[in-house]
Amino acid sequence: MVLEALEREGVEYIFGYPGGANLPLYQHLPEHPRLKHILVRHEQGAAHMADGYARARGKPGVVFATSGPGALNLVTGLCTAYMDSVPMIAITGQVNSTQVGRDAFQESDVIGATSSVTKHSYLVTRIDQLPRVIHEAFHIATTGRPGPVLIDICKDVQQAEANRVVPDYVEIPGYKLNGHVNLDQAREAARALAGAERPVILAGHGVLLSHAERELMQLAEAAAAPVGTTLLGIGAFPVKHPLSLHMTGFMGTGWCLKAVQNADVLMMVGMRVDDRVTAKLSEFAPNVKTFIHVDIDEAEMGKNVRSHIELVADARLALEAMLPHLGKVDAGRAEWLGQIDRWREEHPLRYKQSNGRLQPQDVLIDMYRRARSEAIVVADVGQNQIWAALWWNYDRPGLFINSGGSGTMGFALPAALGAKFGRPDLPVWCVAGEGGFVMTAQELSVAVEHQLDVKIVLLNNFSLGMVRQFQDDFYGGIRSQVDLTHMPDFVKLCEAYGLPALRVEKFEDIAPSFDAAERTKGPFLIDFRIDPEANVYPIVPLGKGLNEFREAPEYA
Amino acid sequence: MPDIKLVPPHPAGTRPTSPASGEVNKIRVLSVLVEDGQNTLTKVSGVLRRRGFHVRGISIGPSRQPGRSRITLQIDHGHAEADQVRKQLERLVEVIEVEDLTGDDVHSRELVVATVAASELNGLLERGAKVLSTGPGGTTVEFSGERQEVGDFVDELTRHGIVDVVRSGPVVMRRTA
Repeated sequence: MVLEALEREGVEYIFGYPGGANLPLYQHLPEHPRLKHILVRHEQGAAHMADGYARARGKPGVVFATSGPGALNLVTGLCTAYMDSVPMIAITGQVNSTQVGRDAFQESDVIGATSSVTKHSYLVTRIDQLPRVIHEAFHIATTGRPGPVLIDICKDVQQAEANRVVPDYVEIPGYKLNGHVNLDQAREAARALAGAERPVILAGHGVLLSHAERELMQLAEAAAAPVGTTLLGIGAFPVKHPLSLHMTGFMGTGWCLKAVQNADVLMMVGMRVDDRVTAKLSEFAPNVKTFIHVDIDEAEMGKNVRSHIELVADARLALEAMLPHLGKVDAGRAEWLGQIDRWREEHPLRYKQSNGRLQPQDVLIDMYRRARSEAIVVADVGQNQIWAALWWNYDRPGLFINSGGSGTMGFALPAALGAKFGRPDLPVWCVAGEGGFVMTAQELSVAVEHQLDVKIVLLNNFSLGMVRQFQDDFYGGIRSQVDLTHMPDFVKLCEAYGLPALRVEKFEDIAPSFDAAERTKGPFLIDFRIDPEANVYPIVPLGKGLNEFREAPEYA
Repeated sequence: MPDIKLVPPHPAGTRPTSPASGEVNKIRVLSVLVEDGQNTLTKVSGVLRRRGFHVRGISIGPSRQPGRSRITLQIDHGHAEADQVRKQLERLVEVIEVEDLTGDDVHSRELVVATVAASELNGLLERGAKVLSTGPGGTTVEFSGERQEVGDFVDELTRHGIVDVVRSGPVVMRRTA
C-alpha cells in the first residue's frame, strides 16, 4: 500500500536500507519496477542522497530506513534538509504497534528523536491512516516553505491488508500556507526601495525555491539596486551582472559587506537573516532606516531583525507585486553604485599564487572553466565550501548545492550522487575536503555500482582547514586536534572501491588531471594535495560586526 | 491573506537581543486550539523548549469541537521577541489556531484543592472556598480565582496547616463586550 502511494505521488527514486522493521516494504518492492531503489551503505548517505536529488531535481527525495539505529542514522540528514528547506519524505519502519513502548528489539522513539528536525512527522499504527498520511506528507513537504516529513510505520501496518482508498484531496486544518501577497505592503516596500539613496537587496534560498530569479532581476534593474546573495541563494542573481554584490555574510565579499553596512534601505528576500549573514547582530546594517523582509515563513519575521515592512509571502509573488509600484527611482543612485564599484576595486577577492604550493582556488577556477555554468557543483562544509562559493561567477540558478544552515560535513559525496540521479543530463562535480569526505566515503560503492558520472575534487590539506584557520586566528594560535596526516591513500582507496583516481601536487598537473577525469565515463576522484596553510578570505572574526572583515594579505 | 501588523510589538529596526524590560512584559497568555493526537503535546512543548520559552502555567481540556483540545499557556518568552511564541506555535501542523490574550480583558481562572488540618475554616469560607470533604485527616476545600487570588488563598491556607495542596494551570477566556 505504501509503495502504491509512492507511485501515485510520482516517486522515481528511493534511497534506502532494509532491516527488520521495514522488511514488508522490501518484500513487495520488486513488484514496483517504477520505483528505483538505490541501496546506500549507510542511512545518513541515503538522507543526503535524497537531499541532493531533491535540490537538483526539484522534487521531494524519498528515503527508507528501518527502526532504531536505521532511523536514527537519518537524523543528521533530516536536520540538513530541514535547515535548508529541502523537501524530503523519510519512511521509517517501526516495531509492531503492540510492541511500541516496550523497548522491543531495534525500537526507538523516532518521532521524539526527529521532531525538532522535521517539518512534520507521523506515527502510523493503523492501516486506515496510511493513504491519508502519505498524501498529506507529500503535500506538506513540498508546499510553502519546503522541508522533510517523516512517516514512522509500524511493521504490522506494513503487512496489513486494507481496501485501497485513495484520497483525492487533503484537508489539513492546522497547516497554514502563506502564499499571497498583501498588496499594501508590497506597494510600501516598492516605494521604500525606489526612494532609497543607498539600497541593497539580499537574496536567499527562497528566491531559488520560488523561482523568482527573473522577478529579482527585473526589480533590481528597475530600482537600480545592487544584489547580494546568501550562501544558499547563490545562483539567484548572476555574479557577472553589474549590480551583483556576489555573496554576503561573514565570509562574503568585501564590497558586499561594505554595501550592507552603508545601506539605508535593506531588502532581504527569501532568507532567515541568520548569524552567518548578520555576524554580530547589534552591528548589522547600522545605517538602515528601512528594513524590508520578504519570506514565506511568518516566524522568520522579527526572529533576528525586526523589519519595518514585512511581506509574508512567496518571494516570486511578492517581487511581482512590487514591480508596478516602483515609480520614480531616486536620481542619486549613480553615486551609490559608483561607490560600490570603488569598494569592489579596493576589496577584491584574492589569494596567494606564488608560493610553489597547489592553491585550492587554482583548482576550482580550472574546474569551473570546464563546468561553464552548466554543471552542478556540490560542495561539502568548511574551507572547500566557501572557496567553491566565492571562486566562481555563478550566473544560473540551481547549480550550487551545499549544506548551508546545518553545515553537515560528509554531505557532498552522497548529495552529489543524489544530484546525478536527479539530473543525469548535467555534469556533476563534488568538491570536498578530506575531513568531510571520509565521513561518508562508503557511498563510493553506490557511485561505482551505478557508474554515476560524478567527478570528485578532493581538496586535501591534511587538516581540518576551517577549524585550523579559526584556531590560528581566533583561538590563540593553538592548533588542537586538527591534524589529519593519517588518512588513507585516496588513490588506493578508490582502487579498492573500483573507481579511477589521480593524485595532483603541482599546478601544471591540474589541467591534465581534469582532462583525464572528463575523458573517463563514470566516477573519478582527484586527490589535490593543496597548500595546508591556504585560508578563506574575507572573514569576519567570530563575534565581530560585518564591517570588521579581514582580507587576504596583499601577495606579491 | 496573512494579517501583517503595521505596528509590530517591537519597534522596527531593533534586534531582539536585550532582555525585555520588566518581568511582567515577558509573559504571554496564549490560547491554543490543537488537533488531538499522540504527538501534539510533545510537539507543542518541544517548540517551547527549543525556542527558549519557559512555561509558567499550562492547562489542557477538550474544546467544543470534537477531536480538538484547547491548551492555555502562560509563557515567558525570554530573549525572543514576544510574538515569536505565537508564530512558532502556528508553524506546527497540529496547531489549528493561536490566540494571544495577553493584556486583553479576560477571565483568567485557576483552581486550587487543599486539605488543611484545622477545623476552624471561617477565613477560607469567607474567601469563597467550598468544602469537598471532612474527615479525621483534615478538611479538603476547593477554591478558584485569578492567579493573585489563588496565591493569596494559598497564603491563607498555610495559616490553617496545609496537609496537601494542588493547583491547576490557568484557563483564560476573553470577556464578552
